[in-house]
Amino acid sequence: MKRQIQVAVVLIVLGGLLTTAAFFMSFYTASVQRFGTYTAEGHVDTVFDIAPSSEQVAGGVTYGRPWLAQKIFYFHVPVALASFLVFTIAAIFAVMFLIKKKKSYDTRSRLAVETSLIFTLATMITGILWTRASWGVWWEWEPRLTTYFILMILMVAYFVLRNSVSDEERRATYAAVFCIIAWIDVPISFMITRLIPSSHPVVFQPGMDVTNLVPFIAAMIGMLGVGYAVYMLRAAEENAEERLDMIREKLEA
Amino acid sequence: MELIHPTNTELYALVLHDAPFVIAAYGLLWLMFCGYVTFILVRLVKTDKQIALLEDAVAKKG
Repeated sequence: MKRQIQVAVVLIVLGGLLTTAAFFMSFYTASVQRFGTYTAEGHVDTVFDIAPSSEQVAGGVTYGRPWLAQKIFYFHVPVALASFLVFTIAAIFAVMFLIKKKKSYDTRSRLAVETSLIFTLATMITGILWTRASWGVWWEWEPRLTTYFILMILMVAYFVLRNSVSDEERRATYAAVFCIIAWIDVPISFMITRLIPSSHPVVFQPGMDVTNLVPFIAAMIGMLGVGYAVYMLRAAEENAEERLDMIREKLEA
Repeated sequence: MELIHPTNTELYALVLHDAPFVIAAYGLLWLMFCGYVTFILVRLVKTDKQIALLEDAVAKKG
């Protein structure tokens, strides 16, 4: 178990270093991006321009305002993708539980949902700050934000469901079915900005500049490392608690 | 003479208009991860201590 914790801590440190490197690369080496959005007319890249607003300063000189908030995407998108990926893993474990009926798959699925919820909250925080900086509002009920919010609510509901069923086997079965149904929102939320008119930008697209791609990939690897580390730590904690229960039973017997 | 010319201050204020949001987003993200990891590690250490205590009790009983 100690080795598991050591590996997790190393992964978190590496994740921190990679995302910090990506953070600085996004300011120093990445080119300023033009983003695409889908409108009723189709795909356009003019809505989120390099300088969406110009502001008048003293002396009658107008300066274009560099759109600094776009730098949030270099860690907002990797966190969001990691939340989708970890929730997909949770759904896979849920399917495996329903097939094999092994308790360990239920535990793994629950831990993955928990990790995914942490990443979803992180995505929400970074996204809300971007929305406030770029749109001037804290929240907007546009398709991506709405479907992602539903996903977060479903994750919370998953734990509410688990806590409301006392029978262990029934709880695991209901939770697995609920997890699989909730997962349907993942592809919907991911694809929605590409399919229907949405003001949420499509940030990372094929053919993007290598100066944008490098910090994105670095942050993505870092976030996946952190995700795996959080999962490992929770698994170690679960194992320790199971061991504690076993010793207690032994002592009582 | 002033250290920074007033027009420059105004210009930098425009350039860094979104900076607090970018820095807050990155800071909060890591604050959240670090807080959660610390929470798990504290619970793990507590559980480990309890295991050690109970194992001692089992050994004495045995």
